Amino acid sequence: MFLGATGAAAVTTSLAGCLGGISGDDDDVFRIGHLGPTEMEMGRGAARSAELAVDELNDNGGVLGRDVELLSEDTGGEPTEGERVAENLVQQDNVDLLVGTFVSEVTQGIIDFVAEVDVPFLITGSADPDTITQNHGEDYDHYKNIFRTGPINSDLQAEGMADYAAHLNDEYGWDNFSILADDAAWTTSFRDILPEQIEATEGLSVVHEDRMSVETDNFTSFLDDADDADADVVFRFIAHGGAAGFTSTWAQNEYPFALEGVSVPGMSPEFWDATEGACLYETTSQSGAGGVAPLTDRTMDFVDAYEAEFEDEGPPSKPMYMGFNSYDAVLFYAEAAANADTVDYESDLDAIIDAMLDLEFTGAAGEMSLYGPDEEYPHDVRETRTADGVISNFPVTQWQEDGDDGVVECVYPREDATADHVEPEWL
Amino acid sequence: MISQLLSILVLGAMISAVYALIAIGFTMIFGVGGVLNLAHGALIMIGAFAYLGLTSSAGALSLPPVVGFVLAVAITAGASYVLYAGLVTYIEDNIVITFLATVVVALLLTELIIIQFGAEPSQLIPVVPGSIYLEAVGTRIRYVELVAFIVSWIAIGLLWYYVTKTDEGRSILATSMSTRGAELTGVDLGTVKSRTWLIAGAFAGIAGVFIGTLQSTTPEMWLNPLALAFIIVVIGGIGSIKGSVVAAYLIGYLETASIEILGPSFQGVLSLIVLAAVLLVLPHGLYGRELVHE
Repeated sequence: MFLGATGAAAVTTSLAGCLGGISGDDDDVFRIGHLGPTEMEMGRGAARSAELAVDELNDNGGVLGRDVELLSEDTGGEPTEGERVAENLVQQDNVDLLVGTFVSEVTQGIIDFVAEVDVPFLITGSADPDTITQNHGEDYDHYKNIFRTGPINSDLQAEGMADYAAHLNDEYGWDNFSILADDAAWTTSFRDILPEQIEATEGLSVVHEDRMSVETDNFTSFLDDADDADADVVFRFIAHGGAAGFTSTWAQNEYPFALEGVSVPGMSPEFWDATEGACLYETTSQSGAGGVAPLTDRTMDFVDAYEAEFEDEGPPSKPMYMGFNSYDAVLFYAEAAANADTVDYESDLDAIIDAMLDLEFTGAAGEMSLYGPDEEYPHDVRETRTADGVISNFPVTQWQEDGDDGVVECVYPREDATADHVEPEWL
Repeated sequence: MISQLLSILVLGAMISAVYALIAIGFTMIFGVGGVLNLAHGALIMIGAFAYLGLTSSAGALSLPPVVGFVLAVAITAGASYVLYAGLVTYIEDNIVITFLATVVVALLLTELIIIQFGAEPSQLIPVVPGSIYLEAVGTRIRYVELVAFIVSWIAIGLLWYYVTKTDEGRSILATSMSTRGAELTGVDLGTVKSRTWLIAGAFAGIAGVFIGTLQSTTPEMWLNPLALAFIIVVIGGIGSIKGSVVAAYLIGYLETASIEILGPSFQGVLSLIVLAAVLLVLPHGLYGRELVHE
């Protein structure tokens, strides 16, 4: 009880301090705080990509004539650490913009604080729809400084995944699907919505569903169960390191189904080496398509710039999905600020918000625009669709063979594909 | 149901053999020197990462898996010896300091491995690739699991022969029964301890390569085997090789059965319940004897 009271008092004091003390616009530097788990490849790729965007802005005269400075902080993927570094960025460093957060729980952990201090915050990693629906949906004015410029939220991702299931059925006649999801916040949509959406297509059924503890590194029983249920495809949604074990268990045992879905470790350009090639034939959906397909005019320039700049600095050798989104977010905001002709969020927040909501922007990961205040996902990035109405900004990439080595190819949607989807040779 | 039981029987036998290797090394070091080696898990990790460094196709050497396996075992045995001769031998009389020092070694190794290999898990090239599908059992067994089973049992058999049939080996057994008695009959304690650490290290190396292949190779992979070694050794009776083998099979089967029947989240729960029960009912374990106080 005593500790609780002290904690509350501390929070109140710090809030009071910051509300009086913020002065984001009192000098000629535009400061961006980037948040991500930089001990992971995903976070490192994102921080580097934000750096590239900042360099690009500075080369072109900065933001409204101000120099741009990037402050990158490591959240460690932990909500408590995320709160600490976010508070520091806002209160000590007076950042004018926050970008990032990968783990949904970290995003949710800092969101009330960020809403309180009004600093514009562009989410670029976590895809949990609740972040938007349960905040903006409930109290729009309080959370209006918060946006997600990518990836599309996981409700929309689930819809894209169901489109993809229908596509696989067209190609191969596969009709039995299994869904294996991490027991974590980010997979909620895939567990709740995806089965129904897959089965909405005539003839497709979900024959097996299970959730996997994030501590698990033994996947034999899950894969045996999917096999017993006669699954043709396993959609697995896995974000922790065990993914490599999952992949090798599947590949070495040549389980008779394809491995699709979302694997965050599988997005690493280094995953081929990490799994000794066991990831051959597995796919993952990821915004940016792994940097292998020219999604827009900007994509390959960005990837080339990333590779040139960070060639010698260790993995990841490509930006990875959060890199695309963090890069796009910085440039998106800069353009919106230019249109609004202000970065002073304390006095002109509404003007900045209007400029962002009006903006149609070509990013490296795709065409970007935001849902309006009265729509289903206020301030969330809109999905883009192909001529057939299929969601296109959540492309699917596959590990394919390239001599003795592996290569990532974009295999879906067709409009952006760099290669055809290949089924495992043992099927 | 039948297929589930068969699958537990087969998968349990495989993993338990590796667990036995881990526990035997841990229990021997305790039996002979009275040292609780909390870096034992770290030795397992050294085995896995040595194998990774030697055989990884992205690495500089890319040795054939079998050669890599032998070298990884040798490296782990060497590391174990260095740990003893370079550190433990100076502090082993003080249990608390040894306890702390070996934890520090484990944590230090974790950091070194993160610096060298990164924190992301790696997969090892299987010593033998491929698998067989046991249709009647409804599961698949990787050849590497079979190899792990066979190699572990060969190692255990050789150790059994060594400690019961050869003088050198019997001196290890004698020391674990009574240090003073062994000394009085002319056993050189230093040599016996060095040999024990070498053997424990080699066993940890073998286990490391297989655990690293079957599960995953990460800088945190030492924790789980260490906890397992603890549980198995307490259940089997501290210092008893036979007890370690029996308890390893008990725990291995319990884990496999929990995974098959209750799901992977329950993997360790039953083992802990059994551990608690054994501590209450049989504090000296299945084959333990009261420690000789001198």
